[in-house]
Amino acid sequence: MKRIIIDRDKCDGCLNCNIACISAHEEGSNFYTVNMQSPDAETRNFIKFDTQKGYLPIFCRHCDEPECVLSCMSGALEKDPVTGHVQYDESKCAACYMCVMNCPYGVLKPDSKTRTKVIKCDFCDDKPDGPSCVKACPKKAIEVKEVSL
Amino acid sequence: MKIVIIGASAAGISAAKTIKASEPVTEVVIISKEDSVHSRCMLHKFLGHERDAKGISFIAEDFFEKNGITWLSNTTVIGLDAQKKTVKTHDNRDINYDKLLIATGASYFIPPIPGLRESKNVYGFRDLKDAQLLDSECNTARNAVVIGAGLVGMDAAVALLARGLKVTVIEMTQSVMSLQLDQKSAEAYQQLFEKNGTEFVLADKVVSVDVDEVGRGKTIHLASGKAIPADVIVIAAGVRPAFNFTEGSGITTDHAILVGDDLKTNIDDIYAAGDVTGIAGIWPNAMKQGRIAAINMLGEKLLYEDRYALKNTVNFFGLTTLSLGNINPEVEENCDIFIREDRNNYQKIVMKKGVVQGVIIQGNIGGTGFWQYLIKNKIVVSSKNKDVFDLSYADFYGLDQSTGEYNYAV
Repeated sequence: MKRIIIDRDKCDGCLNCNIACISAHEEGSNFYTVNMQSPDAETRNFIKFDTQKGYLPIFCRHCDEPECVLSCMSGALEKDPVTGHVQYDESKCAACYMCVMNCPYGVLKPDSKTRTKVIKCDFCDDKPDGPSCVKACPKKAIEVKEVSL
Repeated sequence: MKIVIIGASAAGISAAKTIKASEPVTEVVIISKEDSVHSRCMLHKFLGHERDAKGISFIAEDFFEKNGITWLSNTTVIGLDAQKKTVKTHDNRDINYDKLLIATGASYFIPPIPGLRESKNVYGFRDLKDAQLLDSECNTARNAVVIGAGLVGMDAAVALLARGLKVTVIEMTQSVMSLQLDQKSAEAYQQLFEKNGTEFVLADKVVSVDVDEVGRGKTIHLASGKAIPADVIVIAAGVRPAFNFTEGSGITTDHAILVGDDLKTNIDDIYAAGDVTGIAGIWPNAMKQGRIAAINMLGEKLLYEDRYALKNTVNFFGLTTLSLGNINPEVEENCDIFIREDRNNYQKIVMKKGVVQGVIIQGNIGGTGFWQYLIKNKIVVSSKNKDVFDLSYADFYGLDQSTGEYNYAV
């Protein structure tokens, strides 16, 4: 499967990945027009800073054993057997947030506006040119690579 | 090989899926007393008319056909012969198996209170059938009484409110959802429910129910002397593992079916998973148990180690809460309690000797999944030399270079 591979030493915390993610999920917007003030402006990836370790990119791993899928009681979260990516069907989701509780890496979150859905990486719907965050990274700290499923 | 699974909820379905994904040639038969597969965590959405029966299913419509699984619905298992390796159904069929998974869950319990069990308008809130019966009551009932303010009771209350009923919730303890919340976080929910028309009677209990001439409970009498009118009564006072049919089979049981770490019972080829094992009455754990039992039934060895069950999330009226571990420690436990709050958030962290024992995060729960790992694995966090409220997964950040997956560097 394809996974976003992180080289954290290369990350310098520019947050272009955040903006690219928000823009990718705001229809018709681009890097320059994206409305960062909108309550819908929610990034699916995070860059944390640690005084000793530096920048720490936190991106959904679409885990081999996804705890979020195992915790999902509505069938909204499923691991695609072909792509290996964990897909989220908003129409099925009942917003119980057991996936938020169960993601060991703290990647998942409720939407802050309505608390009726989960904000989760969708690998930009497996678009042929890859996830927006990866394209936006000027340092190649995140790159899509093939890993065995 | 033929694997028979009794029960079509989290554990049963997750087991069937696992078996078919790794060994599609294995014959799988699921027997369930219901005629639909549904998620009980969404029953309130059905009763509240937010979704229909299909909308609370947690599997694809073609799940059984697509995976080549035989599903015997509307079928209750009434007996088990471990020597002959057969289960007996209510319509007197003997179904043979090579391996058996018992995933029959739990059933609700009506306390032995005079008048309560006899009342025809008393319902549990456990299966779709319960919700369907309640649904038709809602067409005529005006006053609903929910006994028990745990998560199930609150789910029922929220649905009954949505149907326009006058809802009274009776609870023995001092606060709502007392297993998941502390006083402060419980009050936040209580207020939201009250604002939406619920009346709470806390620290009180039902002593008797007056039954009318057609057998319906009409008035609920409480220890305090209060009398509450009821057209429909929902009982949400806990559940018991459901395994009556194993009587005489030789399977060792206590309050639940006893299993080892491989989820096998004392009898070879018979496994159990989910609520019926009494290990952890929560969806994610049942799913995981179903998966692990399946892998063991297929002859591989995998142990169930994730026994941690003191965890839950709550979401009512858009107020979300994460609750983990020991959140209401006794004084003699000598825990340190830290609280941080603002207008929209209430956070409580219970610590002992540098190890987090429990947390309540109410409000913004985004990214809080790491807490479970810290509590479950008793990670010492005091060495991080950081305000405990500011901890995140980043403080334990580890990367597996070959797979790109995260792990915990502790």
